[in-house]
Amino acid sequence: MRRYGLLAVAALVGGAGVLWAASPVPSAKAPAIPQRIVSINLCADQLVLALADREQIAGLTKNATDPEMSGEAVKARGIALLSNSAEQILAIEPDLIVGMPASRSAALAALPKQNYPLLDLATANTLNEIHASIRETAAAVGHPERGAALIARMEGELAGLPKPGKGRVAAYYQRRGYMTGTGTLIDELMTRLGLVNLAGQLGKPPLSQLSLEEMVAAEPDFLIVESATDVVTDQGSEMLHHPAIKDIPRISIPQAWTVCGSPAYTAAARSMAAQIARIDRGRS
Amino acid sequence: MSRFALPRWSLIAALSLLTLVAAVGSLLFGAVDLSVARLVAAATGEDDRVAAIILFDLRLPRTLLALAVGAMLGLAGAALQGYLRNPLAEPSVLGTSNAAALGGVAALYFGIAELHPVMLPLLATGGALLSLALLFILSGKAESPLTLILAGIAVGTLAVAGTSLALNLSPNPFAAMEIMTWLLGSLENRSFDHVWIALPCIAAGAMMLLWNGRALDALTLGEDAAQALGTDLRRTRLRLLVGTAIGVGGAVAVSGAIGFVGLIVPHLIRPLTDRSPSAILLPSAIGGAALLTLADLGVRIIPTTNELKLGVVTAFLGVPVFLLHLMRERRLW
Repeated sequence: MRRYGLLAVAALVGGAGVLWAASPVPSAKAPAIPQRIVSINLCADQLVLALADREQIAGLTKNATDPEMSGEAVKARGIALLSNSAEQILAIEPDLIVGMPASRSAALAALPKQNYPLLDLATANTLNEIHASIRETAAAVGHPERGAALIARMEGELAGLPKPGKGRVAAYYQRRGYMTGTGTLIDELMTRLGLVNLAGQLGKPPLSQLSLEEMVAAEPDFLIVESATDVVTDQGSEMLHHPAIKDIPRISIPQAWTVCGSPAYTAAARSMAAQIARIDRGRS
Repeated sequence: MSRFALPRWSLIAALSLLTLVAAVGSLLFGAVDLSVARLVAAATGEDDRVAAIILFDLRLPRTLLALAVGAMLGLAGAALQGYLRNPLAEPSVLGTSNAAALGGVAALYFGIAELHPVMLPLLATGGALLSLALLFILSGKAESPLTLILAGIAVGTLAVAGTSLALNLSPNPFAAMEIMTWLLGSLENRSFDHVWIALPCIAAGAMMLLWNGRALDALTLGEDAAQALGTDLRRTRLRLLVGTAIGVGGAVAVSGAIGFVGLIVPHLIRPLTDRSPSAILLPSAIGGAALLTLADLGVRIIPTTNELKLGVVTAFLGVPVFLLHLMRERRLW
C-alpha cells in the first residue's frame, strides 16, 4: 500500500524515532495476521472493532465502551481498556498498534524500543477519507475483504439518501455555544443533505463560539445538536435550552456517530435526513 | 461628617440615575449590533422577531440579573462591613460566595436541582449559611480584624476546593469549563427562569439586611454600648446571617461567585455619606447594581474571542481597593 510506505518515510523524517529498524517493514499485502492489536485512539477503536476479529484485539482506549463517545461501544465490552500508559502497552507486546497517528503517541515515545508495527490513520473529515481509513485498517488487521464489504454496505446505505435540505441553513451548535465549521465531517454531512453550514456563511473557522444573540440574529433554519445535550445536565447544556432559540427546529444526533470518521457516518446521514423530513411534515 | 457628604436624597437620586444609564446601556449593547431605533420598535410591539427575542429573552433577563445580583452583593458588603466593623468584610472575601457556589454546584451536578426548582437556591443558601457560621466560629472574639479575613480565606479556599472536587466527581466530562464559570461568575445566557430563582431570594435577603440599619449604627459604639442602647445583638446577628445567606445564595445560584463588588461599592459610597453604617446600606445596594451592570456591559464590549468572565473584571477593580485597606491595616500586624 502506497500510503503505508509514505507514512514510514514520514515518521523517519519527522524524527519520531526508528520505527521498524530491527524488523523488516511489514508489507500490507501479506501480513502475518496480527493477534494482539492495540488501539490507542477512540476513532481507531471503532475501526478495529468493525474490522478485526474480537480475539485479535488486545486493548482499546478507555472511552471505547462509552456509548456517548463510540459508535461501536457495545462490541467493545469485555475487551481490555488501556489508559494510554506505556507500561500497559509494554505488557501486551502488541503486534499492531493503531493510532491517529500512532507514531506521535506520547505513550509509545516513552517505550525504550519502538519496534512495534504501527498503523497511522489520518483524521477522516470526508466520506472518501473514511473509506480510505477502512481500507487501511482492514488490510492491516488481515481482513481486506471485510473492508471492501463494509465500504460497499455504506455506499448502499447512502445510495438512496434524499437531499431534503434544499439549501436551507443549519448550525451545528454545541455546549457553551461552540459551532462546528467547514472542513469537518459535520460540514460534509450537511452538504450531503443539501444543507448550508451557517459557520461557512459567516466565515467562521472549523470551531468557533457563537453567542446566543448572534445565533438569534443569524436565524438558521435548523440547529443540529448532540443528543447528549437534549437534557440539561449543567450550565453548558442549559444554554442550548435557552428560550431565545427554542423555536428553531432541531436535529439531534448522537456525538458517537460524528466525533470520528467511522462506519456510523451513514447512520448519522440517514438520521439527519429523516429528522429534516419529519420537521418538514410537521410544518405542512 | 465627611467633606464630600451629599444630602441623602441627592446621593440616592444620583446613584439611581447612574444605575438607569447602566441598565439602558446593558439593553442597547450586545454581541449583535442592533440600532436603537430597531430596539425601540421591537419594544413598542413592532413585528421584528429577531430584535424582540434579543431584547426580551436575552438582554432583559441579563440586565435584571446584573441589577439584582449587584444590589445584593453591594448591600451585603455594606452590612457585613458595618456589623463586623471591618473594612475588608464582604461576601467573596469572607468565602460566602464560594460556599454558596459549592451549594449550587452540588444541587446542579448531582441531580438534586431536578427534584424541585427551589432546591438550587436552597442549597446555595445553605452553603452560604454554613460558611458564615463557620466563619464566626473561627474568628470568634479575636481583636484583630485580620483574623476574620484569614478565617474567610480558609472558608473560601475550602469552598473552592469543594466545588472543584464536586465537579470532578460528578459524571460530567466538561467539568473544567463549568468550574471556571462557577468560580469567576458570569451572566451569559441567563433567561427569565434564572430571574425567578434569584429575585425572590435577593428581595428577602435585602429586606433583612436593610432592617439592620439602626442596630449597625449602635454597634459602632461597641457591643456593650449597643446593648445598653437597646439593640438585641442576637436578633441582629441572626438577621444579618440569614439575610446575607439567602440573598447571596440566591444571587450566586444563578451568577456564580462574583468577587469584590461588596468590597468596592461601600468604600466608594462611604465618603459621600456621614459614614454611619445605616447611611451606606441603601446607596451601596443601588451602587452595586450600577457597578455590576457596568462590569457586565464591559465583558460584552471588550473584544475577546470568548466572553470574559465577570469575576475577572470585578477582580481588576476590587483588588486595588482591597490592597489599599490591607496596607492601612498593616500597623496592626
